[in-house]
Amino acid sequence: MICAGLVDLPDLAYNRRMFVDKPQVAPPTDSVIPPTPPTASLRSRWLRWLLTVLLAAAAITAVFYDAFVNGDGLPYLYQRVQTFVTIFLGIFIEAAPFLIAGSIVSGLIAVFVDQSAIDRYLPKAALPAALAGGAMGMVFPVCECGVVPVVRRLYEKGLPLSIGIAFLLAAPVINPIVILSTYSAFGWGSVFVGRIVFSFLIAVVVGMLFSRARPEEVLLPAVCQAHHDACCAVHDHSHHLPSAPLGQRFTQAFNLAGDDFFDMARYLIVGSMLAAGMQTLVPQSALLAVGQGPVLSVIVMQALAFILSVCSTVDAFLALAFAGTFTTGAVVAFLVFGPMVDIKSSLMFLSIFQRRVVAYLIVLPLMLSLLMGVWWNLNLGW
Amino acid sequence: MELMQRPRFQNAIKALVLLSLALFLYTRLASGTLFFYINQRFMVYTVFAIVGLVLVAISYRPRPRNAAAGEEPHSHHTLGCIGLIIVLLPVVLGVLVPPQPLGAAAMGNRELNITSQTRSVLPAAVRAAAQKDAADRTLLDWLHAFTASPDPARDYAGQPVDVIGFIYHDDRLAENEVLVNRFVVSCCVADASAVSMVVRSPDAAALPNDTWVQVQGVLQPGEWNGKSLPVIVADRVILTDLPNQPYLYP
Repeated sequence: MICAGLVDLPDLAYNRRMFVDKPQVAPPTDSVIPPTPPTASLRSRWLRWLLTVLLAAAAITAVFYDAFVNGDGLPYLYQRVQTFVTIFLGIFIEAAPFLIAGSIVSGLIAVFVDQSAIDRYLPKAALPAALAGGAMGMVFPVCECGVVPVVRRLYEKGLPLSIGIAFLLAAPVINPIVILSTYSAFGWGSVFVGRIVFSFLIAVVVGMLFSRARPEEVLLPAVCQAHHDACCAVHDHSHHLPSAPLGQRFTQAFNLAGDDFFDMARYLIVGSMLAAGMQTLVPQSALLAVGQGPVLSVIVMQALAFILSVCSTVDAFLALAFAGTFTTGAVVAFLVFGPMVDIKSSLMFLSIFQRRVVAYLIVLPLMLSLLMGVWWNLNLGW
Repeated sequence: MELMQRPRFQNAIKALVLLSLALFLYTRLASGTLFFYINQRFMVYTVFAIVGLVLVAISYRPRPRNAAAGEEPHSHHTLGCIGLIIVLLPVVLGVLVPPQPLGAAAMGNRELNITSQTRSVLPAAVRAAAQKDAADRTLLDWLHAFTASPDPARDYAGQPVDVIGFIYHDDRLAENEVLVNRFVVSCCVADASAVSMVVRSPDAAALPNDTWVQVQGVLQPGEWNGKSLPVIVADRVILTDLPNQPYLYP
């Protein structure tokens, strides 16, 4: 079961281009974007397959070793599978409503939002743009699953890169629902304020880092093409059909929502399986045992946030359970880093960004929230 | 592959997959097994998800060509075989593996909250637990109550206990001892953590893991892992059915 997730992972990367993301628009002749070569070299592809097979074999061996050496064989194995399926379905059932809601919002944006509005109302300069992106969550209350289709659609409408990235990272925390749930868990205090301030800061900083980047270096070709056409107003490829009857426009919006859902659900499902697999195989006590000290505790809580993949709307209640065992800096790092990046959301980023950029979007928030957590522990006390 | 690419076929497939996901969620909702996966307060979101999935599925219905003056709404995305299989995985696994709440098998991998000293909780929850009658307290309430006391083993000695949970045998326990447990779920089972109390009973060894029991007894000072804490000295251990809501919610 766990291996299924692993085996599918590289498939996704290949097949995203081959099967699913047929370019939204035909390549226009006046494009300045060089076509990205869609095929990896044969050798690197073989290498990746080999790696996947080895990983899968290692996982299977670990499961069977565990079952037959530590446990009592097949019944134990079956229970493990049962636990895995329960956790996997738990994460999926929890996230699916937010994903379908995000997809529907994305479809509605595609059909009903005029792309010139984005040009008109959003700031262009790097700092105001990133600040606006960081605060946009107050207007679109979405969690980390719902935000991904919305950001992708906004990019296709020509949203500047830095705004989108700041929005993507900040929105799961900087929105009324999450602020409220954090308040009800921690009350008015340093953790509450720290979570909001640092989430906003980190999102804005990462957003600004991307303000000089070119879209073709960051976005997937299909997203980038639509983005480029929207920016340069080559011609309106969007699904914005002001002349069509309302019913037809809604149908179109829901069609696009469905396409988004299928696109993202694959990542969500593989991500949930990986998270469930980790939870079934890796004992939490192993993680918690090392989690002391001002630096290690932060790293452990970040790892936990990444593995648990809990929705940002409720992670505050979960963090509360660790508040006694862990340093305050570590708890804040959990609350800041978890919503930005976890197994399922980072896989979902692959549907917008190139793989290299997804790596940046994991590493930058990781490093920044680690710095923040350690700084917190050393200066504000454990 | 030709067939896979045809728009009408694509739309039909997408609609069917969405409907099967919606149906899957609905069956879990209708049978009450939804609570095996998520906190009950998220049930309403699942209802929204079902409505959303059905609405989107309906939008893929076949439409007559050139019905209106405008162009026919169309979709640019093609769902491939692998994408299709992945999206159907929740349904397939959900059907193949019968629904069952987390149990003893998940205990080994999770943090056990037996002594509550390390667990910090909502002050409101502690107050609420303190106000409850001793016999009404759940395992979680007891843990909350213990948090408020510097020496729970002594302070709570002699109080009557009536709790429900499943059985888990831990190697660190004595022959006549067993853990009675519930999982606490704040969001979905991914964040489940166990709350447990030590039960002392002559029947302890005879109860297999995962048996659901109602334990009635009295708290007495005891020990777990070298730390002093209250243990339940059971008067009666009654076998019960799986509760409608297997988890506790903080």
